[in-house]
Amino acid sequence: MEKKKRFLVVSGPNLNLLGTRKISIYGEGSLDDIHKGLQQRAEELNVTVECKQFNSEGAIIDCLQEAPGRFDGVIINAGALAHYSYALRSAIGAMLLPCVEVFISNVHAREEFRHKSVIAPVCVGVIAGFGKKSYLLALDALVNLTGV
Amino acid sequence: MKHIAVIHGPNLNMLGKREVGIYGGKSMEDINASVLAEAERLNVTVEFYQSNGEGDLVTFIQKCRGRVGGIILNAGAYTHYSVALRDAISAAEVPTVEVHISNIYKRESFRHISMIAPVCIGQICGFGPYSYILGLRALIEGRLDSWLV
Repeated sequence: MEKKKRFLVVSGPNLNLLGTRKISIYGEGSLDDIHKGLQQRAEELNVTVECKQFNSEGAIIDCLQEAPGRFDGVIINAGALAHYSYALRSAIGAMLLPCVEVFISNVHAREEFRHKSVIAPVCVGVIAGFGKKSYLLALDALVNLTGV
Repeated sequence: MKHIAVIHGPNLNMLGKREVGIYGGKSMEDINASVLAEAERLNVTVEFYQSNGEGDLVTFIQKCRGRVGGIILNAGAYTHYSVALRDAISAAEVPTVEVHISNIYKRESFRHISMIAPVCIGQICGFGPYSYILGLRALIEGRLDSWLV
């Protein structure tokens, strides 16, 4: 039997606060709810996911550097780091793994500094604005992309 | 049953024939067929429209008001400069998902700006024809999601 595809899901700074802050932008559920939803979808799709959250930019980079060989693709919600972390961009580029960028909110409908993502050019694609669903759609996209 | 309009903008009728390195070898008809199959799976109906004309797209989107439950829009190059299209989406008051076949952020800087993104629910780009499938799922399954704001 072929080995199940493994996907890494990384959420960046302040996403541990989901469900407790700015409910009108980010919704009511917690990050744990998102992770549970991803686990459920992963089972349906016959793949596995490992979900992590870090507030620290360096910790995300450490995590991504360890991903090649262990995972077949990555979903990243870099939070505010998306808009300025060139170190994160380099780490994503260095992985040589398909990476999908997600946002819970529609970043284009918000402050101008959120309109630009410095990591988008090194990702396969971007999914923004669909709430928790953004993560689930990203998993669908990775599964489709890696031909599970 | 929910009814969705899938709208293709300028030059998307040339899919499969032009710049296949960027846009892939599938034709617009191939994409429509796969969207139709997904719509049947999700138990919704879809209609398809393509125009190269900005005004025609504006008129079509206006006429979606009160008639369709959602729009999947690949506005092609108009994405990046058509304020008229943006106004039509706002005026239609139909939940709209912006999709792109290519990852527009990997390309020329003039493609990094979307005039329509702020009036859409969200944006999906970079997944080839599968962007449309994800757009449909976002629109349908997303409406049931209390997280959607």
